[in-house]
Amino acid sequence: MSCVVVKTWMPREVSLLADVLADARVWKLKDASAAPARPVWSTGKSSLDARLPGGGWPTASLIEVLLDDTGLGEVQLFLPALVACQASRHGGDAPWLVWIAPPHEPYAPALAQSGIELKRLLVVRPTTATEALWAAEQALSSGVCAAVLLWLKGTDDRWLRRLKLAAEAGGSLGVLFRPEKHRFEASPANLRIVISRGEPCARVDLLKVQGGRPGPVDLGEP
Amino acid sequence: MKSRAAKSRTADLFAAAGRRAEVSPALIPHAQTLAPPPPPQARQPHAPLRPKQLWYAAVFPDMSALESSGAALQKLCLHAHSFTSFVSIEPPNALLLEIKGSVKLFGSLQQLHADLDDCWRRLMLPAHSVVAPSTLAALWLARAGGASQIEDADLLPSRLAKVPIACTAWDVERLQTLRAMGVTSLGELMRLPRAGIARRLGPAVVGDLDIALARQPAPRRAFVRRERFRERCDFETEIEHVAYLEQALEPLIERCARFLRRCQAGIQALQLKLKHREGPATRVQVGLASITSERRRLSDVLCQKLARLDLRAPVRGMELISGSLRGLSASSLDVFAGFTGAGSRDSAPQLVERLRARLGEEAVYGVRLIAEHRPEAAWRRVHELHLTAAAKVAEEISDQLPRPVWLLNEPLPLPKPEILQGPERIESGWWDGKGVARDYYIACPHGARLWVFQERRSKRWYVHGVFA
Repeated sequence: MSCVVVKTWMPREVSLLADVLADARVWKLKDASAAPARPVWSTGKSSLDARLPGGGWPTASLIEVLLDDTGLGEVQLFLPALVACQASRHGGDAPWLVWIAPPHEPYAPALAQSGIELKRLLVVRPTTATEALWAAEQALSSGVCAAVLLWLKGTDDRWLRRLKLAAEAGGSLGVLFRPEKHRFEASPANLRIVISRGEPCARVDLLKVQGGRPGPVDLGEP
Repeated sequence: MKSRAAKSRTADLFAAAGRRAEVSPALIPHAQTLAPPPPPQARQPHAPLRPKQLWYAAVFPDMSALESSGAALQKLCLHAHSFTSFVSIEPPNALLLEIKGSVKLFGSLQQLHADLDDCWRRLMLPAHSVVAPSTLAALWLARAGGASQIEDADLLPSRLAKVPIACTAWDVERLQTLRAMGVTSLGELMRLPRAGIARRLGPAVVGDLDIALARQPAPRRAFVRRERFRERCDFETEIEHVAYLEQALEPLIERCARFLRRCQAGIQALQLKLKHREGPATRVQVGLASITSERRRLSDVLCQKLARLDLRAPVRGMELISGSLRGLSASSLDVFAGFTGAGSRDSAPQLVERLRARLGEEAVYGVRLIAEHRPEAAWRRVHELHLTAAAKVAEEISDQLPRPVWLLNEPLPLPKPEILQGPERIESGWWDGKGVARDYYIACPHGARLWVFQERRSKRWYVHGVFA
């Protein structure tokens, strides 16, 4: 039997609850005042927004989407966010969107319809998974990309951590799509969601929500 | 006063307005009969007294003996570039510099002239130099061996008068004709009537005289420095590992970047040659997404390429060759490029070229809309990306009917699905042999939303896109 000694900070005298809460080291769950300072991007579905801390996809973080097949509206969930973050930077250059190893050709008319600036969209087709991960890391940490979407069959924990760090360093939104079989693996992603087939519309399950509560989400209208 | 002006207009054409006293009065009646009135555009340039240009000519008398005088002159141009940006090579042994713009920078014309002469002296090159308001006057006077400064175009006729005609570098036949006529100096030539000179010696001679007297502009081609960086380094021992190569490459890239900064230019292509003991050299070609002169970007891309390289033999030496130099646009100039060192943020072109260096040119692309009804032809890949700030152009969307995010490369056949929405008839392309006649629907088999169509002729069903 092993024993773990945890050194904690102990207040000299018992203070008021407000004093404790004022301490930066105290992390408050579901507190309105603890809303992230960074902007969040709406998912376009109010029921999903309500379940995410801050009310949308968090920026500068890694989001993992687990799904087995395409066509479940998984990209649709991110399109409003992509449009919003492209429009967010005024004055300077519009930030880039990078799609790495998409399962099919991204169809330009559909993207233009939803409002994405096609001139700032980059499609990358790496030949191996390692190259895809490398490209994603480069794009995330470069600081010129607002969002990086990456489709992969599988990867390991270490690469995910690197992607997360890169997303935080570059302030971009990283989205990783991979098969559902990885749902029981540990993942450092800030947000993990599972999208699966359902009637009449796809089911969305929040597996892990930093600062929120996991559980199924009812998307309502498809 | 009036009569004097009228007299002089028809008198010697080659004497400028202020130097009428120089004109030999004996020749005036003769000229009156033969010379046509000067063309109006020829009189225009000598109206202002201060010349627009000042030309410095340097003639190197020793150089014509050299075989490679052209190459030597090009090297001298590089020296001359520190005084003015406009240097023209005058074969076989002279340089012409436009120095009007540099006078203020160097203090005075005397100072500039002395500095220029000093430059040749330091190179142990004997030179004759003259400053004059016109190209040919400076050149002819310098060939004559004088060392003078003429700022006033009106002084030109008197100064040129004593120059022997051999200094004009006209062809031998013309010079012989002139000698046969008893003309040995430009002064004597200028006293002859204009029409007569043009008839006997050709209009080029009259043109040259006009240029020399600063009555006509004489465009010159400015020398542009060698537009390439090329440097090699040989190793004492053979290098087998790419990691060592990268280290050895750093100083070369550093020098290349410094060269580019000095030229105020950038490059878009770079080549690295790795030399082996035997067999052909390995070439590493690098393309850059935008014109750059930044050391960090160059080394970044080269190292990416090197890391992917399979060395088939140890390397004995390498050579770095830049592509042709391009002017840097204002947006590509990074003022702090030399100071920031290893900043974590990079630019879009940098990201794109790093991705391309490792994944290949074809693996990184953009997409564009095409105004076309056939779904498969309504878009295309583009490899030239607008990497710098581009004006926001609203993309035209022809129709508002929903389109899927994914389009399959080839439509896949499927049994008749359950239809959610439709039809949308697309019938187009009969003119190029790839005509389509389809009814598109949105279907939802097994929970996935698909974009399907029925071929109107064969009545078969296909899936063409996925609403992801």
